[in-house]
Amino acid sequence: MQITTARHAHVTVVAVAGSIDALTADTLTARFGEEVLSGNPRLVADFEGVEYTSSAGLRVLLAAVKAARQQGGDLRLAAVRAPVLRVLELSGFTSILKCYADVPSAVASFLG
Amino acid sequence: MDPIAPPRVPAAPAASLPAPPPTRRRLALVVGSGSVKCAAAFGLYRALLREGIPIDRVVGCSGGSIVASAIALGFDPETCMRLSAALWTREATRHPDRLALLRILFPRLLGFEPGRFGLRRDTALRAALEGAFGGRTFADARIPLHVTATDFHTGEQVVLGTGSIVEAIRASIAIPFAFAPVAHEGRLLIDGFMSDPLPVNVAMREGGDLIVAMGFESPYQSQVRSAGRFAFQLSSVMTNNLLKASFAFHGLAHHGEVLLVVPRFEQRVRLFDTDKIPYIADVGEQAIAEHLPYLRRLLAADPATAP
Repeated sequence: MQITTARHAHVTVVAVAGSIDALTADTLTARFGEEVLSGNPRLVADFEGVEYTSSAGLRVLLAAVKAARQQGGDLRLAAVRAPVLRVLELSGFTSILKCYADVPSAVASFLG
Repeated sequence: MDPIAPPRVPAAPAASLPAPPPTRRRLALVVGSGSVKCAAAFGLYRALLREGIPIDRVVGCSGGSIVASAIALGFDPETCMRLSAALWTREATRHPDRLALLRILFPRLLGFEPGRFGLRRDTALRAALEGAFGGRTFADARIPLHVTATDFHTGEQVVLGTGSIVEAIRASIAIPFAFAPVAHEGRLLIDGFMSDPLPVNVAMREGGDLIVAMGFESPYQSQVRSAGRFAFQLSSVMTNNLLKASFAFHGLAHHGEVLLVVPRFEQRVRLFDTDKIPYIADVGEQAIAEHLPYLRRLLAADPATAP
């Protein structure tokens, strides 16, 4: 899994590529945690490069969104591929997370 | 009154506790409700056999109980498919129970008993199940097997793991309105999907680390022009929402991994499309193929199997 981070005004975009699963979950959890603890709780997870997510990946998202919201921010998803979106839908995540078609839309959503 | 003194248990220093030996992750397969579509799990089973990935436990619900039982008994995938084709026939549900219909209309006159209420006789269904599984019991299973049903009176999930496999399946597929509930040890059992269409919780409770869960969304009706279709639609709405809510909780609560495998059917699959079972199994095999790279990596990282 590869993770890259970019700052957009008051929003941090965390671009993830590869598989989010039990073997990679800790790395992504740590990255989200670092951002929130650094005072960047407005997060966009760019999922364009995410090919696969397991239940361990869902637990990462849940922990991150709770941490972000506790600090007054949010975790929003962008460019989620169809197979990953299906897992998110079936596990109820699309009912608690905001999802956007692309990163600019997700970033702009924080300005509203 | 004197406080009750806690029992004196000599405290052992934590450092003296022996580390548990590295163990292989225990893989549990859960097959949810989905009528004939459950045959997709035979394709999944075929893929796991080919990959040499052992299954340590099988859980089945409703139509998935038939598949789970066949796998647990050690039938090969081709036999499983033949067996499934023999079970999902119109013949099994063709015979109406006209008295049951009259009991709906005149409950006071004819008497209404929940334990006997089903619009279809189950004689042919039982005969088909007996033909497939004979007198086999859970003790005959090569892989530990659990079949889920639902307590009609309390709504609780009931997990069956002893006795006749045919009786357990019959309870698990006691589709409301279609087949009468099954009396079992003082309870009245109805279809397992009513409590949880994808009973991942059973695999969790029984010690599964890595859970491969094949689930199916109930189809929505394209047109609703009868009371029967109306009831089917309501059932799908409730079942699909229950599937999502239940899976969401179990996926987050599990200490290990839950791989959700949801086959995507391009062709329409109706209730009795047994001629499509080879296609259905192929779709199931494709569905698990998406997970196999990760599954291989996960098992390779296992402390007991890693080089």
